[in-house]
Amino acid sequence: MLKVAGLNVRYGKSHVVFDLDLTVESGQMLALLGRNGAGKTTSLMGILGLLPGAQGRVAIDGADVSRWPAHRRAQSGLAYVPSGARCFPNLTVAENLEIAARRRAGSNGSSSTSSRGTSWTKERVYELFPKLGELQANMAGGLSGGERQMLAVGRALMSNPKVILMDEPTEGLAPVIVQSIGRLVLELKQTGVGILLAEQNHQMALKVADRAAFMEKGRIVDEMPAARAINSEVLHRILGV
Amino acid sequence: MGGLSNAAYLFIVAVGLSLVFGALRVINMAHGSLYMIAAFVTVVVANRLGLALGFWVGLLAAVIVTGAVGVLIEIVVLRRVYREEHLIQLLGTYAVTLIVAGAVRIIFGSNYRTMSPPQLFSGSLSLAGYRYSVYSLFMIGAAIMIAVGVNLMLYRTALGRNIRAAVSDSELLSASGVNVARLFTTVFAIGAGLAALGGVIVAPSQAVGTSMDSDVLVLAFAISVIGGLGSIIGSAVGAVLVGEIYSFGLVNPYTNQFALAFVFIIMTAVLTIRPWGLFGRAEQ
Ligand SMILES: Nc1ncnc2c1ncn2[C@@H]1O[C@H](COP(=O)(O)OP(=O)(O)OP(=O)(O)O)[C@@H](O)[C@H]1O
Ligand SMILES: [Mg+2]
Repeated sequence: MLKVAGLNVRYGKSHVVFDLDLTVESGQMLALLGRNGAGKTTSLMGILGLLPGAQGRVAIDGADVSRWPAHRRAQSGLAYVPSGARCFPNLTVAENLEIAARRRAGSNGSSSTSSRGTSWTKERVYELFPKLGELQANMAGGLSGGERQMLAVGRALMSNPKVILMDEPTEGLAPVIVQSIGRLVLELKQTGVGILLAEQNHQMALKVADRAAFMEKGRIVDEMPAARAINSEVLHRILGV
Repeated sequence: MGGLSNAAYLFIVAVGLSLVFGALRVINMAHGSLYMIAAFVTVVVANRLGLALGFWVGLLAAVIVTGAVGVLIEIVVLRRVYREEHLIQLLGTYAVTLIVAGAVRIIFGSNYRTMSPPQLFSGSLSLAGYRYSVYSLFMIGAAIMIAVGVNLMLYRTALGRNIRAAVSDSELLSASGVNVARLFTTVFAIGAGLAALGGVIVAPSQAVGTSMDSDVLVLAFAISVIGGLGSIIGSAVGAVLVGEIYSFGLVNPYTNQFALAFVFIIMTAVLTIRPWGLFGRAEQ
């Protein structure tokens, strides 16, 4: 579904991500774990086509999108939940959602035709996050951190994506909201959406992920099933737990 | 009244400059050049076709020609400088002003040209004991319509929503599936169209000459800075202020050499108190 091969990212002369290989299958979640500065955000942004200094192969459903600009990658099924609950602060909640609205790009194999795979609309996002419904006419800039995080997730859903790239979506959130995002992620997986989650908080990540990849100094140093990662030596070494 | 009709065309030009800066973060020095192209096209077409239709055909021709030149400038020059620092952007668009100025002299010559207002808006009208030229009332009405139109576009259409989103985070916008390069070209074309409308509307009210590009740019820039770059209300208030002050300075024989100085005194005063302008927002 999402396949990245030999991705290298540079900021000017400084080489930050080295030969990144990863695959996210339909309905599966890969957790990308690493400390501050390991290169998680840079990897996600490189995959999304947001960084001019990225080179390497990115394929969505077998189609090579490496030369496509970011908006075409988004249109063909990649969605982004940026870190820090980034939204358009000067737009209303409703406008933030509408801006990403898109019917599911092309056919999505058998997985998308599952009974729950109906498409996302503003109304469905408000059902999922009732708070956003109440605030729909408010400017996003005035929302609390948790509300903006819900909005960032809702915006990603509105594009009816094949794969969602999430960057620390639980950072600074109350445990209840973390749990509800965890539940949402499990539901999304059942509808066939693939998820790439960049996290430092391995607790939540490893509970819902299928596989885990460990990143250190811009390289993936190990990859394994999430169940095995929980007690692994590499988890202790890299995240210091 | 002279002040308000000056405010009218200055507003139309300034709101285009401000819109382009708000979304693209580029100060377009060539904005005055687009305005000048439109004024010349209007005069030439109008004088050839006569009073009844000339102005309206001129308007259409000017908007099309200027819009096309604007799109060309965006694709050839601006796309290369978006990621550069402001100085490079200023130099790039300044180079365009020199090229356009040369081209206008070659194509239209350096003589002043004049035209009459269209038949529909000729003559004058008395209101409450004063006489007003119908054309200056038309200028004011046109500016109000354009202000309303730009507002509706920005706050009631998907295009406007995308423009506002680009103002705050163009990276997130492209990750949301919007073609930001095409959006920028569209915004620049709208800005060029507004410069053109300013040039068309001013043509029957002033002599059209080869220095009008820099004349208007200085005033439009002052208006945008006073009102706050990127703000439409700011452009309107700034235009009325600058239009009135400038006209007041010009009509008084003791001060007419200093009219522009008055404008800059006000601009300096506003900037001292609110560096981001009356209606602008402080950056970061
Ligand atoms: N715009 C930039 N220009 C230059 N270097 C950058 C830039 N952004 C990030 N870096 C560097 O790239 C490296 C990886 O940063 P990145 O933000 O990808 O890490 P991360 O794993 O997401 O960290 P965190 O957990 O703190 O979010 C760091 O050394 C950082 O300093
Ligand atoms: Mg990060």
